Amino acid sequence: MDAGAFGLYICLFIALYFEVFLLISFFEKKPAKKNSELPAHYPSVSMLVPCYNEERTLGKTIESLLALQYPQDKLNIVVIDDGSQDNTATIGREYAQTYPGRVSFLQKENGGKYTALNLGINQSRGEIIGCLDADSFAAPDALLEAVKHFESDRSIMAITPAMKVYRPRKLLELMQSVEYTFGIFYKKMFDNLSAINVLPGPFSLYKREVFRRIGMFRHAHNTEDMEIAFRMHQHGLRIVNAHTAFVYTTVPQTVRALLKQRTRWSQGFLQNARDYRHMFFNRRYGNFGTLILPFALASFLAGIYAALYAAYRITSAAVARVSDIVATGIPPHLPAHAELSWFYLNTTMMTFVVAAVLAMTFVAIVLGSRIAEARLSVKSFAAYFAFFGLLAPLWLIRAAWGALLARQSAWR
Amino acid sequence: MQGQKYVVAFVITAAIFATAFYIANRLDARRVADIRATQEAVSIDILSLETQFDLLGSLECSTIADNPILSEELNSLAGRLSVAEENLGQGNAEVVSLKKQYSLLEIKDYLLMREISQKCPKFKPVYILYFYSNNGDCPDCGRMGDVLTYLRETYPGLRVYSFDYHLDLSALRTLVGSRKIIETKGLPAFVVNNKAPVYGFKNLQEMQVLIPELKTLATTTATQ
Repeated sequence: MDAGAFGLYICLFIALYFEVFLLISFFEKKPAKKNSELPAHYPSVSMLVPCYNEERTLGKTIESLLALQYPQDKLNIVVIDDGSQDNTATIGREYAQTYPGRVSFLQKENGGKYTALNLGINQSRGEIIGCLDADSFAAPDALLEAVKHFESDRSIMAITPAMKVYRPRKLLELMQSVEYTFGIFYKKMFDNLSAINVLPGPFSLYKREVFRRIGMFRHAHNTEDMEIAFRMHQHGLRIVNAHTAFVYTTVPQTVRALLKQRTRWSQGFLQNARDYRHMFFNRRYGNFGTLILPFALASFLAGIYAALYAAYRITSAAVARVSDIVATGIPPHLPAHAELSWFYLNTTMMTFVVAAVLAMTFVAIVLGSRIAEARLSVKSFAAYFAFFGLLAPLWLIRAAWGALLARQSAWR
Repeated sequence: MQGQKYVVAFVITAAIFATAFYIANRLDARRVADIRATQEAVSIDILSLETQFDLLGSLECSTIADNPILSEELNSLAGRLSVAEENLGQGNAEVVSLKKQYSLLEIKDYLLMREISQKCPKFKPVYILYFYSNNGDCPDCGRMGDVLTYLRETYPGLRVYSFDYHLDLSALRTLVGSRKIIETKGLPAFVVNNKAPVYGFKNLQEMQVLIPELKTLATTTATQ
């Protein structure tokens, strides 16, 4: 076995170990089904909607918040325009005028999403601060489902939802719908391990005291939602996942937009991981420090390694083939007596290990779809397994390069 | 409890790897058994033909000319051996043993064909004895193999016998000696019918010039 293949086995071992670990966690503590119980107490909630050039989706986002099943006097929607250049401000202002007392509108010069969020926190009064990106829409019962968690345990300081893709139709959206379902499984298992690593922009909820105790949102390499999760773990503040609180988010529809978004996330992870490197393998931070952070970084590096190794093998085989054709003078042709037999199948150990990793991934996605009551089509699975492995290395490599050069990635 | 989970996950992961290793090995063992069974069948066929030849003193020449004897089986064996060699490694004892058996079958087939061609004037096959090396000292051997495979597929009447020059087999050493193949002149080397050995890589066009007899052979329509 050559050194390159040995490295690939190590990557596969890491991937498989992580998947097995999470599956064990799932069977230890299966997620509870949604029930019809209502909270005994309704805390006041300020839902912040930071936006920058979101005229296309902002109205629908606000409508979804207005439709939340929650006492009207306990819910205040705060739209914060971060210096948009389109009609975002007009739309936000119109809603504030149409729903006075329920919708507030704030406007500021462009300063980044974290500054918009911080303004919203300072200008609102809710006991619970919710955030909803202006390209996402909450399910009507999402807030009720989330608030029940705060009520069930006073030590819970923040809640993440179950994120689904909004009306996936194109191939790239279908691919991401499977990826998000996979993420629902991951998020719930991270919850079982008390190690949720990000509080996503779409519909994360915080107790106001979180910001009193650990400070406000930071720039954090344009991934303030990740950094605040890191900081909460650093201060021992508990984050849980409300897997029955559904939020639908629009996803990039072009490869270019997807690469840009994922590069920002991945580069943000690398840079935040560097800022919080003291948490790695530190038992004081529980599973977050000993398992999730090291495995996330290892997966990142393994993804790049596997992609580069595969690219090297494919390229060198292709170059050798072309050079053989030129040297031998043999015209392109099919083998005259191609034998259809199992004998010629690739049955190396690598094949079976890769099959095991893919099978575990499939199981995790199916479990994720059950947790989130999501239905995935065969086409979605096909899109995911066909394209994700080809696209992910691109943003991983770009992010690693960007982090090395400490480039700032754009919010939009 | 938490520590236990880390260990259990490790054990399960290691067990999956071990299972993958076991299945891959079992399939390789089945491949070896498959090759051995085919070789035994070919061996019986050759023995039967030799016996028939001895008993009758001659065979129905038209039958031989129309149906290339054992050619398909030997070609198929060559392909399978190559897969086994790739999976198990060229130094694997099973692979070496199979290659020796295969080489012996090739030599026997070659000798038999020569004898038949002498007895049957109309049966004029073209032989190529091809000598290659797998020791990493013959960068052109793979390409030469590709050219010969293509020629064999194009001209079903062409009989290509491939031998690993370094295989430790006395019959092969005798063949190498009798055909005066000298390694120092550089592999790959090949002998066309009874001509002098040719050394070094030759591309398709060069081979077609080197073997004018190819023009007398029928071609497959699929590859032309």
